[in-house]
Amino acid sequence: MRNFNILIGGEAGQGLVSVSNLLIRAITKEGWYLFAQQDYMSRIRGGHNFVRLRLADQPVYCCERGVDLLVALDQVTIDLHHEELNQNGVVIADGQSSPGENFDLISISFAEIAKKQGQPPIMANAVAAGAIWAFLADNLSAIELVLAETFGDKGDEVVQGNIKCAQAGFNLAREGRTLTHPAKPLEPPEVMILKGNDALPTGALAAGLKFMSAYPMTPATGVTEFIAAHSERLSVVMEQAEDEIAAINMAIGAAYAGVRAMTATSGGGFALMTEALGLAGSAEIPVVVINAQRPGPSTGLPTRTEQGDLLFAVYGGSGDYPKAVLAPGDVEEAFYLMGTAFNLADQFQTPVIVLSDQHLADSYQTVKPLDPAKISIDRGNLITDAGPEYKRYQYTDSGVSPRLLPGFGSGGLVVSAGDEHDEEGHLIEDAETRIKMMEKRMRKLDGMKTAALAPVTYGVQEEPEYILIGFGSTKGAVREAVDLLIGKGIPSLQVHLPQVYPLPDKLRQIWNLPGRKIIVENNYVGQLEKLIGAELAAAPDGHVRKYDGRPFAPQDIVEQLLGGGGR
Amino acid sequence: MTEKRFTVSRETAWCPGCGNFGIINSLSQALDNLGLDPKDVLFVSGIGQAGKTPHYIKGNVLNTLHGRTLPTATGAKIANQELTVIAMGGDGDGYAEGGNHFLHALRKNVDITYIVHNNQVFGLTKGQASPSSDLGMITGTTPRGVSYESFNPLAVAITLNAGFVARGYAGDQEHLSKVLQAAIQYPGFALVDVLQPCVTFNKVNTYQWYRARVYDLNQDPDYNPHDRKMAWERSWEWGEEIPIGIFYQVERATLSEHIPALENGPLVKQPLVSPYLGEVLAQFK
Repeated sequence: MRNFNILIGGEAGQGLVSVSNLLIRAITKEGWYLFAQQDYMSRIRGGHNFVRLRLADQPVYCCERGVDLLVALDQVTIDLHHEELNQNGVVIADGQSSPGENFDLISISFAEIAKKQGQPPIMANAVAAGAIWAFLADNLSAIELVLAETFGDKGDEVVQGNIKCAQAGFNLAREGRTLTHPAKPLEPPEVMILKGNDALPTGALAAGLKFMSAYPMTPATGVTEFIAAHSERLSVVMEQAEDEIAAINMAIGAAYAGVRAMTATSGGGFALMTEALGLAGSAEIPVVVINAQRPGPSTGLPTRTEQGDLLFAVYGGSGDYPKAVLAPGDVEEAFYLMGTAFNLADQFQTPVIVLSDQHLADSYQTVKPLDPAKISIDRGNLITDAGPEYKRYQYTDSGVSPRLLPGFGSGGLVVSAGDEHDEEGHLIEDAETRIKMMEKRMRKLDGMKTAALAPVTYGVQEEPEYILIGFGSTKGAVREAVDLLIGKGIPSLQVHLPQVYPLPDKLRQIWNLPGRKIIVENNYVGQLEKLIGAELAAAPDGHVRKYDGRPFAPQDIVEQLLGGGGR
Repeated sequence: MTEKRFTVSRETAWCPGCGNFGIINSLSQALDNLGLDPKDVLFVSGIGQAGKTPHYIKGNVLNTLHGRTLPTATGAKIANQELTVIAMGGDGDGYAEGGNHFLHALRKNVDITYIVHNNQVFGLTKGQASPSSDLGMITGTTPRGVSYESFNPLAVAITLNAGFVARGYAGDQEHLSKVLQAAIQYPGFALVDVLQPCVTFNKVNTYQWYRARVYDLNQDPDYNPHDRKMAWERSWEWGEEIPIGIFYQVERATLSEHIPALENGPLVKQPLVSPYLGEVLAQFK
């Protein structure tokens, strides 16, 4: 595989997002595979933000260390990142930046160039994109296409102005240089380009989401705004709540009334929701909660990534009730697992939590075109009619009772309660009914265990030396770490868990394989390790952990493993 | 005589003489008078003695968490506008634990009726001060007497321009039933705060105490419930004379009218996946 890594850095508000979004789309159009990772601070202006763009002639699953083209919108970007430059790495600096000692620096004053073209300073973004493009292709057609798409509704003058600026940047960067361009796939692949916060809501819509309520919280807000933006066209409701407590209770109310409903939040908001999750467990109401994790405790690092809510998602809450916790590892999985989440919620009439995190939420990835037809909708034991004899919590072998929706029966009433109740849903306090109702609810967990998604494996199945076990957004980095290990002659296997609760029994079989089991996770205490220990009574031979608020690069994993961190 | 479709005979957890009996009788009467079918009515409640009310009346029930009555009722109403949604709870549920939800429900104007069984004390936890306890009231948690200003739900509701603001008295079922009927018929958020004697834990605000004080403000020919300033001023009357009735009523667009998706009928009856989903996916190509 041949890679090209671009890092664009600058202050918040300097146009970084505009330049990188333009490039993300143009790179995809030009036919490369791409992974783009965003690193931003919790502020509106200033600070230091950057985006890594990794394009390649084969699918890529994460970003890696090393930079081939460093684009600095400010001096800080050069100071902080020049040591990451690969051999022959080049810096494009916006204007005044001083030339480096050990690297090739092209200085272009983006705004000045835009001005020279007779265009407003905002078109500095197009100049920057054009200059970067000089390193990728020998013509600007993909950039021109994207500029036309982006600014088409602002009129031809704006489009042409941007194209002029891009051309000027492109010409300046090429001046006096012979540039070789990164290798492209032989055939341009048919792909989509999107981030986790696009895939999760789109998957939910494909799964029949009709109601969402949420309170804005980074890094989950993208999901909420996505649904809001499309709500009118797709006839769904997105209701902004006064707090996370209201958000989940509204979703529960809507789900009780019969629509597929969800909410999205991050750790602190999720903490406020745990009481209502118990209500959904007791009253057997299907609701889906996306927890886009960020480093805690408390407010933590609001714009960064961690997998620190795993045990909280699995065990958080008062009392025992069945639930499922899913952990999509990439953009494609995020889309399809939303279908699984809503189906599990309906089939088992209980809450389902989807663990995302900032890395998955904000990273763009080229993926095979997502196909909503592959998301089949199963609403479980939903009945359309029942007479006055209807009992919402009728005892059954599976623990799942026929579910009537309020207003639909011919005399059947839907009585639901978070207090302990009898089959009809009315309140009880006697021990006998309590035991029967508790056992009825918890029997659903047996069915959920059987239905649990199997681990996804990649790499060397026969006699692996290392087995790297992970969940959620570490999927891409672990996969590429396995490739690096295999490249070093060390046969290795990845075991990725798209579902972390209940854990699939199949995970136990991994312990029958030879090889060192290493649990890779983005948190301090080793929450997956504890979970596997508690649920499957299995212990690994070592672990790789990270809790700096940043995602793993494959090299981090290999270094920790071979450098002694893996014991 | 209308058929009593909403009345059920189930043993209650309430004390003999509890003001809740007056409320449930008035509510059943109001629903029967309106000719509603129990299967089309949803009672949403929280926790407290008032929160148990839906179990003693016929209809669909969502008995939720303490204080969370209003957001849950809001979600249910948005999902199925065809349901008549009646939210109910006590003063602890609505004005303490659920205070933030109360404020925002007033702003949103979702088309539900909210009945607050206001006995000015925590009953289920056996007699502690509530937000609406009178100044000086001695309770288990306030041995030196309540020192906080009493929460005035009517003044707050009128301040936030809630569409329908009323007060009933559990000891006058005929009047309460009429007020509830008007509240249920009102298109928008209708607050009915009900003065409810707690025979066990509130020895101050008793039936005798209320009987000597309450009067129907709508009998006053000079009172205009469409006058917000007048309503706000009257909402502060408390002591020797206590007004009950419809304090304020105004036309406002309901929450549903602001939600384009609901123009296509009840959400629960709509197709799950929009034919336009493909357009959304196409933007990623």
